[in-house]
Amino acid sequence: MSCKICGRPSKKENYCNLHLKAYQNICEKFEAWNNALEVSWIDYLVSISKNSLTGEWAKEVVKYLIEDESRNVKEK
Amino acid sequence: MKKYTLIISEKPDAANRIAVALDDKGKAIRENSNGVPFFVAKNGDKEIIVASAIGHLYTVSGAKKGWFYPVFDYQWVPRWMVKKEFLKNRIWLKVISKLAEDAEEFVDACDYDIEGSIIGYCILKYACNSKEKMARRMKYSTLTREELRESFINLLPQLDFALIEAGLARHEVDWLYGINLSRALTLAVKNSGGIYTTLSAGRVQGPTLKYIETREKNIRIFVPTPFWSITAKISIDNHTFELEYEKKSIATKSNAKVIRAACKVKEGQIIKIDEKKFQQKPPVPFDLGTLQSEAYRLFRYTPMQTAKIAQHLYINALISYPRTSSQKLPPSIDYNNILRKLSKSAMYQKLTQKLLAQPMLKPNEGPKFDPAHPAIYPTGNLPEKVLDTTAKNIYDLIVKRFLAVFGEPALKQSLKVSININQNLFFMMCYHTLKEGWIEYYKSYVNSKDISLPLFFEGQKVVVKKVTLKDNFTKPPPRFNPRSLLKKMEKEEIGTKATRANIIQTLYDRKYLEGKQNMSITDLGFEVTEVLRQHCPRVISSEMTKKLEEKMEQIQLKQETRQNVIAITIENLKNVTETLKQKQLEIGTQLGQKIKQIRFKKQTIGNCPKCQTGTLVIINSKKTGKRFVGCTNFFENKCDTSFPLPQKGAIEPLATPCKTCGYPVIKNLGNPKHPWKMCLNLNCPTKEMKKNEL
Repeated sequence: MSCKICGRPSKKENYCNLHLKAYQNICEKFEAWNNALEVSWIDYLVSISKNSLTGEWAKEVVKYLIEDESRNVKEK
Repeated sequence: MKKYTLIISEKPDAANRIAVALDDKGKAIRENSNGVPFFVAKNGDKEIIVASAIGHLYTVSGAKKGWFYPVFDYQWVPRWMVKKEFLKNRIWLKVISKLAEDAEEFVDACDYDIEGSIIGYCILKYACNSKEKMARRMKYSTLTREELRESFINLLPQLDFALIEAGLARHEVDWLYGINLSRALTLAVKNSGGIYTTLSAGRVQGPTLKYIETREKNIRIFVPTPFWSITAKISIDNHTFELEYEKKSIATKSNAKVIRAACKVKEGQIIKIDEKKFQQKPPVPFDLGTLQSEAYRLFRYTPMQTAKIAQHLYINALISYPRTSSQKLPPSIDYNNILRKLSKSAMYQKLTQKLLAQPMLKPNEGPKFDPAHPAIYPTGNLPEKVLDTTAKNIYDLIVKRFLAVFGEPALKQSLKVSININQNLFFMMCYHTLKEGWIEYYKSYVNSKDISLPLFFEGQKVVVKKVTLKDNFTKPPPRFNPRSLLKKMEKEEIGTKATRANIIQTLYDRKYLEGKQNMSITDLGFEVTEVLRQHCPRVISSEMTKKLEEKMEQIQLKQETRQNVIAITIENLKNVTETLKQKQLEIGTQLGQKIKQIRFKKQTIGNCPKCQTGTLVIINSKKTGKRFVGCTNFFENKCDTSFPLPQKGAIEPLATPCKTCGYPVIKNLGNPKHPWKMCLNLNCPTKEMKKNEL
């Protein structure tokens, strides 16, 4: 399997090593954001995608996750 | 022909200084043979000829020709035989050999460090027909007349062979790593995809690149989290101060808002004042690392730049030998004499006289020690010519640092004032210098946090002017800059004081790094590190490099042999090269794909403004040999957009399109000093405007 973001060989959850770490980071930080601002998962993703401090790979994963969320909404 | 003493120095400027110093009348004669200068001096009844190298004249090279690996057979050969750009060294060596024929005594006067010792040793051994064992050694730390003459009178009976062995081992180990790893990577790419590009890796390069790569990864996967901070502006006796809330970060916005609302009152009260007095010791003398670090902090000079400037000041006998790791200033350098000489300059007169009036001068030394040289200090000589700004800055910094280390400790006062604003605690920190001490000498280079303080007392009322709630986010770790990377290398004990700056430069030259102040790794650098991490992690581990450094230091202490260290290196490399060979196809494909992507990216100008779906790329026409910009959809017969390009100079696409017409803009780097921008659109209104202007 290859990474859904960059096409490198994937290790877990269809992410390569680098994007997997970014994904884990995104999931981990949601709790802090939720506590701080009481935001939903999608609002959180939109906020970090616009934040200039978010790392390049984390932004790539966020972009994928946002697209994935909107695909899911459409399917429903 | 009359016999003479032949002195070998490291550079022509140093040779001139040595000859002038040793000549009884201080007037050496400059001669030259085939354009190679040497200097003749008269010292008592002795005739002296001072010849010089021009850096390293010999280098390590493979014993067999051909581009293959692993390579474990090598020899020391003249540098001109390996690299064409050193061809002029051939005549240089011939002249030295000719001068050696009639010499009866040989003296090595190259810099007393590893590199200098190898330069002198190789010349004496290879160019002077094996005179290394009979040669004596000049040891000095400044190029002043007094020290050079004293060093000539007290010549060391022989070369420092332990230092030379350690140096030779370092060069050989580095060569073995460099040649094998670089060839393995380059050949992997060539053999798997037919791509020709030179890739390199090395013993110290690998771990250094890994530090930057690890930092970059942490930056790229970083996700910020929000937090809030509260500050208050208060007024006391018409002075305004900024206070910080007791908690530096508040994790939830609702909490932060509640606190701010509670603080919207008109008055607060000082509830506690903690006063502390403390001493601040003078700084320690400069070793090369701390000088480079300070020069970067103050002037933003890169470590490489600072090393070059310091070398220039040393050659002009203005400062002592700069490539030292010592933070000690022994009394033998004669502090009083240096201060007296410096006091002839109006710039330093007041400060030096103050120090000279002290009953005793004792420097505040640091822990680092270098057996070969003391810390960096000014010789006391004043510049004969006007120094350029960069040299002037470094010279002034070294002089003032030297003065400061003899200063008394500074006495400072800190005040922590606790203020209650409607049951919420705020703090204010104030610093005040009570006695300047050493700061007086180093004032221009000290960041002062001093503020003038009104009289505070407990129970005092304060006027609350403003309470601010600030939205913040956690920040990613900072990128390395030349100063912090150098510190990291020093901390990890990889490389030497003389080589670290060059290694950083090599990483730039190999296009593994970009950005001067904020260093980041390029895509190519990332891929090379990733390949090495996957297939031979030892090569990029600091541990392996550190262990080798220790072994090489042990050679210097005669606790280890060069032969043994080389044998260990070859054993390590045999395993590494075997793995690299086995996985050649995998490595080559991985790197090759990346190189193709990078090359395509370099050729990519932007989106096609006509068809909107294609990409504009630089194409080299096979028919005409000329380059132009075309749309990728052309190959599918969908779009025929094309633009002419200037035929000379490197082209760099710019991220922002033309402000007037929106077409892509390129930068021509034909003249690096004057690059120029061009909008691709031939009908762009800006072109008309420029024509009209002309």
